[in-house]
Amino acid sequence: MAKLSPILREVLSHVFKKPATRRYPEVKPKVPAGFRGRQIFDINLCISCGLCARDCPAKAIEMVDVEGKMRPLFHLDRCIFCYQCAESCPRNAIKSSEIFELASTNKSDLVVKPKENSVSGGSK
Amino acid sequence: MSLDLNFVFRVLVFPGFTFILLFTMFCDWVERKIEARMQNRMGPVYTGPAGVLQPLADFIKLLTKEDIVPFNVKNFVFRFAPIVSFSIFVFSFAFLPIDGVNVIFGSNFEGDLIFVLTLVSIANFLLFLSGWSSTNPYGAVGATRVLTQLLGYDIPLFVLALAPAFLAGSLSISTIANVQYIPFAFLIPWAFALFIITLQAELEKDPFDVPHAETEIVAGYETEYTGRRLAFLKLAKDVQIVLGAAIAVELFLGGPYGPVFYGSSAVWYTLWFVLKLLAVIVITEYLTCIFARLRIDQVLVVNWKLLLPLAFLSLAAAAGVGLWLNPLGR
Amino acid sequence: MTNVDEVMKALNDLLGNRIIKTRTLQPEKSYIHVQTGAHKDAVRIMLEQDKEAGVSAITGVDLGGKIELIYHIRTCGTIITIGAEVPKKDAKIESITDIVPGANFHEREVSDLFGVTFEGHPNPKRLVLPEDWPENVFPLRKEVSVANIPSKIENSEVSKGEKQFSSEERLVNIVLGPQHPALIEPEKFSLKVEGEIVREVEPRIGYVHRGIEKAAESRTYLQDIYLVERICGICNACHAACFCQTVEAIMGVSVPPRARYLRTIILELNRIHSHMLLLGHAGLEIGYETLFHYMWRDREPIMDIVEALTGNRVVASFITIGGVRRDLKEEDVPKIKAELAKLKERLSFYKRLFECDSTLKMRTRNVGVLSKQDALKLCVVGPVARGSGVDMDVRRDEPYAAYNEIPFNVITYNEGDSWARLMVRLDEIGESINIIQYALDHLPSGPYRVRVPRTVPAGEAIGRVEAPRGELFYYVKSNGTAYPERVKVRTPTFANIPSFVRIAEGGNIADVPASFVSLDPCFSCTDR
Repeated sequence: MAKLSPILREVLSHVFKKPATRRYPEVKPKVPAGFRGRQIFDINLCISCGLCARDCPAKAIEMVDVEGKMRPLFHLDRCIFCYQCAESCPRNAIKSSEIFELASTNKSDLVVKPKENSVSGGSK
Repeated sequence: MSLDLNFVFRVLVFPGFTFILLFTMFCDWVERKIEARMQNRMGPVYTGPAGVLQPLADFIKLLTKEDIVPFNVKNFVFRFAPIVSFSIFVFSFAFLPIDGVNVIFGSNFEGDLIFVLTLVSIANFLLFLSGWSSTNPYGAVGATRVLTQLLGYDIPLFVLALAPAFLAGSLSISTIANVQYIPFAFLIPWAFALFIITLQAELEKDPFDVPHAETEIVAGYETEYTGRRLAFLKLAKDVQIVLGAAIAVELFLGGPYGPVFYGSSAVWYTLWFVLKLLAVIVITEYLTCIFARLRIDQVLVVNWKLLLPLAFLSLAAAAGVGLWLNPLGR
Repeated sequence: MTNVDEVMKALNDLLGNRIIKTRTLQPEKSYIHVQTGAHKDAVRIMLEQDKEAGVSAITGVDLGGKIELIYHIRTCGTIITIGAEVPKKDAKIESITDIVPGANFHEREVSDLFGVTFEGHPNPKRLVLPEDWPENVFPLRKEVSVANIPSKIENSEVSKGEKQFSSEERLVNIVLGPQHPALIEPEKFSLKVEGEIVREVEPRIGYVHRGIEKAAESRTYLQDIYLVERICGICNACHAACFCQTVEAIMGVSVPPRARYLRTIILELNRIHSHMLLLGHAGLEIGYETLFHYMWRDREPIMDIVEALTGNRVVASFITIGGVRRDLKEEDVPKIKAELAKLKERLSFYKRLFECDSTLKMRTRNVGVLSKQDALKLCVVGPVARGSGVDMDVRRDEPYAAYNEIPFNVITYNEGDSWARLMVRLDEIGESINIIQYALDHLPSGPYRVRVPRTVPAGEAIGRVEAPRGELFYYVKSNGTAYPERVKVRTPTFANIPSFVRIAEGGNIADVPASFVSLDPCFSCTDR
C-alpha cells in the first residue's frame, strides 16, 4: 500500500491560508527598477540622428518634425518594449519608466509625442 | 375545492421551489469558494458581498444568450431533456424532510427511499439522452460515459442506502431521519464513507469527472447546448448535487433533527439541515480537490471491483450492527 | 562508442570520390558536400557507425540557380553535415525517410517551402502552408516576395471540412483541434478511433506558421534577435541565445566570461519556469486542477526574478550579439538565492506527490509508452528522449555559455511513459536551481558585453542550445551585408511531434491528452 499522498494535508491546510491572488486593480503590483514600461523621451538630449527609428524591430518609431528638427514619435501600439532604441541612442535620450497600465479606448493615448523643450511620456 | 394556501406556500416558496432554487445557488457559491480556497485562490468576489450572487449572475447570463438547436437533432428529446431532468430533481425534494416535515405534508410512504433513488437514476438517464440526442461526436462520447458510470455506481448507491434502512427498520426517508438519536454516520461510519465516495461518482466530480472531461471531449453531453437550455442543464446538475447531499444528510446525519434551543422548531430544524448539508458539500469538495480524473475504464474497475463488494460487505456489517442495537423481537 | 573521427574516416573511405568538397561550418563543424545521389549512402554509413545517430535538421538554401539541401546529422554528441545540390528547375532528390523515419516532417517542410520533391516519401502532403496556398509559389525561394503572394483563393477544397466517417466504416474520425480545450495552440490531429481505442493518428501542423524564417531575411541581425525571440514566448531566451551564439560564431567573436555566466542564469531560469508551466498544465489535462494552481503559484517567484533581472516577466530580451544587455546587480543576488532555496524545498513536496499520489499515477504510469528504439528512429529530443532512456543533452555534449565550467547531472528515466517524461522535467528543475546557485556563487567580474559591428562577414554557422523542450538548432548563413542570407530554425517540438503518432496509436482516447501533454508541445515553436 503506497504512502498517503501529501496533497491531502496540503489541501486542508490551504483552507486556512490567505489566497495567493493579488486583488488587482485595488492592489497594484510593485514593479522592480529597470522595468520596461512606457518610454520617457528627453528632447533636450536628442541629436536627431534617427538611429532609434532605424533599429526599431517593430518599426514603431517615426521621425517627425518638431520646430525644424526631426524627433522620434513612439507608436505604443506597435512597440514591443524591447528598448533597443534606448540602447542605440548615443545620448541616452530615451529611458524606461514603470508605467505599464497602457490600455486605453483612445488611440491618441498610445503615442509618446516629442514635446518642445520638455520630457514627455513620464506621466499619463 | 378551496385552495390550501399553506400547501401552496410550502410547495412554491418554503421549503419548496423557491427555497430549493436559492439554496442551490447558495450551495454552488459555497462549493466554488471552498474549492477556490483549497486551491489558494479567491473564487467569486465581485457580484454581491463576497461574490454570493455569482451563481445567480451566471444563470441570468445564460438565459440571455441565443438558444441554438442544431439541424440534425432529435427535437423532442433535445429540447425537453434539460427541463424534465431539472423538474425530476426538484420533485424528489418533496420526499425529504427539510423543516421537520416533508415539503408536501403527508407525502411520505414506506419505500419512498427507493422511489427517490429511482427518480435520481431516471434523471441521470435523461442527461445521457440529452447528450445522445445532440448528434455531436463529443456529446455522444460524453453521453455513453454518463451511462457507463451510471451503471457502475447505481447498484452500490442503492445497496449503501439500504444500510441505514436496516438500522432504522424502515424504508421511508423521513422515518430514517427521525429515529437517529445518534446520527448513523457514527454508528456505521464505513457505510457513510463509502456512500460519500459513491456520491462523488453520481455527482460526476473528481475522481469520477469523466462524463464532462473538458480536456478530452470539450463539454461531454453539454456540448451542443446553449442559452436557456444550457442554463437549465447546469441548474439541473447543481440541484442534483444538493439533492445527493440532502439524501446523505437524511440517511446518515439525522436529517434536520437536532437540538432545539428556543423558539419555533421549524427554524432550528431548517438551520440544522442547512449546516449538515454544507458540511457534506465541504467533504465532497475536498475529495474533488485531492484527486485527478480517472479514465472511464479505471472508473469501471473502481466501481465494479471495489465499490460493489465493499457495499455488500458494509450492508452486511450494518445489518449486524442493527441487530445488535435492536435485538429481534424488540 | 564511436567518436567523430571514426565516422569521418568511414565517410571518406566509403564515399570516396562522390565527395565533392569538405568545408567547415562554424564553430568547427565539418560539412561534406556530396554528389546528389550519395547523400542517402552518407546517412546510412553514419547510422551504421553510430546506432544513436539521428537527423537534427534538414535545411534548404536558395543559391540562385540551385537549391542546396543540407542534412545535419546528430552523431557522437556533435553535428556532421552532409550537403547536396539540386537544380531549381527540376528539384528532385531521394528521400531518406525509409532509413530515418524521423526525417519525415523535415522533408515535408523543405518541399513545402522550397518546392523540392523527395522521391519515395510516404506522405508528401503539405506541412506548414495551408491547403489552399497557390501552387508553385514557394515562399523561401529568393524570387518570391511576400507582397506578391495572393491572399485568398476562392472555392478552395479546404472550407468543405473533414468527413466524420473514414473509408473503413468501423473507424470514427474524431478530430482533436484546431480548436480544442486540450490544446493551448491550434493544430489538428485526426484520430481514427474504434470504440475507445485509437487506431491511426494524422497530425496536421502549420496553423500558426508566421513565416519567421522569411521575415528574418529582411531585417538586420540586431532586429532579428527580437524577431526570433518571439517565435516562442516560453523559451524565448533560448531562441535569442542560440541565434546570438550562431552569429557570434560566424563573426569569430568571443563573449566575455561574465556574459556567459549571465546567459547561463537566464537560460536556466527559462528552463525552470517552462517546466513548472508544463507540470501545471499536465495536471490540468488529467483533471488535477489543484496541482495546476499550486504549481503556477509556486512559479510566480521565478517570474519576479526574471522581471527584476531583465525588465519583463516573460520575454526577456536580455541576450544580444556580443553579450547581455544589462548587468545583474550585487544587491539582487541574496534575494534570488533565497527564493531559489524556497523553491527547492517546495520541490520535495512535488516529488513526493508524483511518487505517491494514486490517481496521478493511474493516469500517467504506463500511458503513452515510447520505447528507446522508437525514440532513436524518430529522432526525438529533450525530455521526451531522456524519459525513454536516450542520454542526450546539448549542455553536456557540446557546452555553450558557461556549461563547461558548471557541474550538473543529466537526468534520464528508462520507463518511457508519461510519468517518466514528467519526472525528468521535475528533476531538471532541481538541477537548474543548483546550476543557478553555482553560477551566482562563481560569477566572474568584468564587462558583460563587447561591441560588435553591424555587418557580419560572409560565412555560415550552426548553433545548438538545450531549450526546455529539447535541442534547439539554428543555421545562419551570412553574405557580408547587414541582412542575413538564410536563418533556419529547427525547434524541439517540431522534432517531437511525430512521436505522438507512435504514442497515441493503440491507446485509449482518454489517454490522448495525458500523453500528449507529456511531450510538452509548443506549437508556436513548431510552426514558426
